[in-house]
Amino acid sequence: MSTAPLPERGGSLTEPFWQAAEEGRFVMPRCSGCARYVWYPEEACPHCGENEIPWVPVSGRGQLFSWAEVKHELYPAYEDTLPYVTGIVTLEEDARVRYVTRIVDADPAALAIDQPMQVVFRTLAFKGVDGEVVAPVFRPSAGAAPGKVDE
Amino acid sequence: MTTSAEPDWGHSGELEDVSGEIAIVGVGDAIYQRASGKSANEIALDAIERAIADAGLRPDEIDGLMQSPFMGGGFTADTYRDYFGTGQSIWMSTDGGAMTWAATAPVAAAQAIREGKARHILNLFAVDWFSQKGKGGEGPGKYHGEERMKANFELPFGWFPQPVYFATIARRHMFEYGTRPEDLGAIAVACRYHATRHPDAITRQRPLDLAGYLARPMMVDPLRMDDCCLISDGGGATIMTSLERARDLAKPPVVVAGVGEGYSGSGAYWSQQGDFTASPQVFSAPRAFEQAGVTPGDVDVLTLYDPFSIVALMQIEDMGFCPKGGAGDLVADGKLHFDTPGLAYNTHGGLLSHAYVLGISHVNEVVRQLRGEAACQVSDCEIGVYGGYTGHMASTLVMRRDR
Repeated sequence: MSTAPLPERGGSLTEPFWQAAEEGRFVMPRCSGCARYVWYPEEACPHCGENEIPWVPVSGRGQLFSWAEVKHELYPAYEDTLPYVTGIVTLEEDARVRYVTRIVDADPAALAIDQPMQVVFRTLAFKGVDGEVVAPVFRPSAGAAPGKVDE
Repeated sequence: MTTSAEPDWGHSGELEDVSGEIAIVGVGDAIYQRASGKSANEIALDAIERAIADAGLRPDEIDGLMQSPFMGGGFTADTYRDYFGTGQSIWMSTDGGAMTWAATAPVAAAQAIREGKARHILNLFAVDWFSQKGKGGEGPGKYHGEERMKANFELPFGWFPQPVYFATIARRHMFEYGTRPEDLGAIAVACRYHATRHPDAITRQRPLDLAGYLARPMMVDPLRMDDCCLISDGGGATIMTSLERARDLAKPPVVVAGVGEGYSGSGAYWSQQGDFTASPQVFSAPRAFEQAGVTPGDVDVLTLYDPFSIVALMQIEDMGFCPKGGAGDLVADGKLHFDTPGLAYNTHGGLLSHAYVLGISHVNEVVRQLRGEAACQVSDCEIGVYGGYTGHMASTLVMRRDR
């Protein structure tokens, strides 16, 4: 039986991410050959072909690439969380890495593209779905003025 | 328009050039105002019957059927023969259907006709999603939720289903290019302007102007209700044959003048597409226009696969109708309306306002425009284009009047 939208656990390409999240760590797969992040995870690095791609800790700082505020029920399991903000954060380590995430602790009207963001761990649970998961989500960085931080 | 300028986040397809070889000779649509209670196959048969009548053919003269591999239920040669009581052998292909395949089906059809496998080929597509919705069916979101990386790294965060992707893309497009809600609204309003003048359109009795658009609630901010496609039952059928044969049939032939296809390198992961605010039309349209020997400025009518207003806006830019980021000026002030100078766009109402039949009716609409039979007829309509889209793919079909 599907546990969506909880992540499926145990997959070799994905489990290290969720295991680390349970321990409060935000990790990303990074190629040991060319040092590029490989997101989404793949068996072989799309940039250099290397198979050794360990999960490494990242700072949890990034910038808001874009977001959407979901106001209407489109998927039953999300119903209890409406309205909510979801979007994409690019990592401080490499802005080419786009991490899809929930945006929490934010007034949607005050969000601005490219504003600094900070990881925070939250337990996610869904209506009609057994179980929960600890997930790295993002909130606006404390004390940071919204808006573009640099060009 | 050379491929040397192609960006690196995708590539164009290697379709054979069949321009001038094949023509569209029959079109039929089956659009329902509400749940039809019919199966997808029954809906397809309604559309097929109309297309055959439109072409002036007999049911036993159809000897090729093209459909989408994704069409539930599977439409077989026996489905056709049993319904029409015929016994001919039928060449079958899954290179057809709607979305991008509504544009590229003529390539495989031309090859089959050339090789003598078939003479009159029918491309079909139908969905019963409105009826299925009432029965707890899953509809268009289903195909996305099952994908592994989406299941792990998108669904847990609520980045699902499609309206969420495209709202996120729309907001970034607004940031990068200054696109305004009014620009998206102009696309939705143009679709509705045409739908309220079209006998088949599901929203024909629901007029919408820009003020009304802006006043509507957000579905997924920044997309409002009217930025998002309908869900409906419906289908379409398109009959193709050689241009030579087409000239003997009932209706003036509509010639396939150019076909293109483009792919994003990031597959179905919208979040990871190299250029987040573009469509693979960048890789598809140039080749189709080149084959046809025309430029976007020559186009009299354009229909685009438009699940969301932003998808249409991006395709208009990526096909070269204006510079990237410049669609706002092109769509403003009713310039997309059939009776206003500019670019006549989705003159049947599109997925936003006509029906959610995934693009096959878009092709049929261009055919009717080029014949002079459309409900919202564009004057002196000689060149028409359909742009297909499925996210990781785009396609382009340039059609023209015969001679």
